[in-house]
Amino acid sequence: MQTLLSGLTSGALIALLGLSFQLVYLPTRVFFVALAGIYSLAPFLASALHRGGLGWAVALIAASIACAAIALGLEWASHRRLARHRASEGAHLIASLGAYTVIAQVIAMVWGNETKPLRMTLDSVTDLFGMRITGAQWWTLGAAVVVICSLSALLRLSPAGLRLRALAENPAQLALFGYNIHRHRALAFVLAGLIASVSALATAYDTGFDPHGGLHALILAIVAVIVGGRDTFAGPVVGGLMVGLLRAQVVWHSSARWEEPATFAVLVAFLMFRPWGVLGRKARIEATTQ
Amino acid sequence: MTYLLHLVVYLSAYAVIALSLNLVVGYCGMLTLAHAGYVAIGGYAYAVLASVAGWGFIPATAIGALLAAVLSLAVSLPSWRLRGDFFVLASLAVQALIFSVLQNWANPQAPLGSWQNLTNGPYGIVGIPDPSILGWRATTPTSIAILALVVATMSGVVLWRLYTSPWARLLEAIRDDELAARAVGKNSRIVKVQAFAISAAFASVGGALYAAQVGYLDPSSASLGESVLMLTMVIIGGLGNFKGPLLGAAIVVLVPEALRFLRLPEGQAANVRVLIFGSLLVLAIHLRPQGIAGKYRVR
Repeated sequence: MQTLLSGLTSGALIALLGLSFQLVYLPTRVFFVALAGIYSLAPFLASALHRGGLGWAVALIAASIACAAIALGLEWASHRRLARHRASEGAHLIASLGAYTVIAQVIAMVWGNETKPLRMTLDSVTDLFGMRITGAQWWTLGAAVVVICSLSALLRLSPAGLRLRALAENPAQLALFGYNIHRHRALAFVLAGLIASVSALATAYDTGFDPHGGLHALILAIVAVIVGGRDTFAGPVVGGLMVGLLRAQVVWHSSARWEEPATFAVLVAFLMFRPWGVLGRKARIEATTQ
Repeated sequence: MTYLLHLVVYLSAYAVIALSLNLVVGYCGMLTLAHAGYVAIGGYAYAVLASVAGWGFIPATAIGALLAAVLSLAVSLPSWRLRGDFFVLASLAVQALIFSVLQNWANPQAPLGSWQNLTNGPYGIVGIPDPSILGWRATTPTSIAILALVVATMSGVVLWRLYTSPWARLLEAIRDDELAARAVGKNSRIVKVQAFAISAAFASVGGALYAAQVGYLDPSSASLGESVLMLTMVIIGGLGNFKGPLLGAAIVVLVPEALRFLRLPEGQAANVRVLIFGSLLVLAIHLRPQGIAGKYRVR
């Protein structure tokens, strides 16, 4: 049970980051690698703002808003321009990779390369049904449930959310109906920045943070997107939980050093034999990527 | 003078690596993040065979090239079905798996090079011997630089002949419209397997040169950061011709050296170097998608 809880918690964090990646990827087809930089930046900003005199709650909210603003800035400065020139997926990916590199190095130059803690005290522990649940795990699971439910409600019930889904389905038709595509793309980037910062702050509260950890976290999130299904917003949630549980089982039954090989073996298996993922619609992958 | 000779070796190794990557990214149009893995395979093959079995540079590098060419199937087979971002992901998975194998194929109780401890895991391989060819051992910086220049020139000539051959034009045709190439009877799958195998083999030669120069190799040589650095070389320098990757390799090797003269703090120099490469990557894709001297734009 303890392994299951550990897997669910790490899976929830992967799911959150996967969801933020998918929020950009589905409507815009931008492979938003710079999200890894934003993920790395959030705890550094929160920590600096707290040291600057703000309370923890205000510092966390301000850091999340700053992350959303940076995501929006990257859309305006880079991806929107590339989209206007009908740049390819590869061009977006390389531009985003460059932006990630810049953000990560700026963080390292300002705050150093070392791993830092967000929590200075020992974590609280609760016993429940024979499981030991830490405060960080409560916060992580709570934040994941709140974010996933809120986003689900936004996408299903609000006009803006419905239009975001329409943008993911058929951007040309949405534009023909007179809606402003750029505004909806911007909304996707803002939401992605906010959700990535929640995942980053929850991870930082549990295990600490460093300037280069974002890329590894994002790669796991992308694996979750492929496993869960790359054409639905629910895919990353299912995929994230599956990847988290798989990694926890691998650690439990063999060793932590086999976590990465197992994860990437699953990625290869899905890419080769079920590229549409667990929840996706079956389609020839060539038809969707050319 | 010794400093300049070291630069010549690094430049030679990275020139071979960039030219080999250009074959896949520039001529096949497939962005790959697995290239550092094949460079590391060449480096490790040379390190293990030279350290443990006492092999010379040519046979050890040839075994590394053969191994890399066979293992390139891990990337070339997915390229039959996957395009764009999904192929990038598959190549990322291959890179991660190669890194994991190098990191985990270790047993402290077993001797280095044995089946139980082939790579020495995270500790890496230290004291890699100087390269020797037919009894002649390159022990001085000058002799290693000459060897590196000869190997890089020979690799460059072979790759240049490939770039200007009808086979390269077939690669370009497949890159620009695979369906049309197949419609006129060309077997795109076999050609891609060939291109990836040749690219991986030459990358491993670059890796062997690097290992022979540095004398130490650990799994970080196969890391994602290294793959991104190699991709940066060809994108900044230019894709789809001979001079672009050479220029990119020169920029990636020489810019950090130029930074030495700015006397930046030791801890910040590496960050500034990567920051410059990241900025150049963004600027290149916005202002000059074909790179400084290339002729193919990333699609």
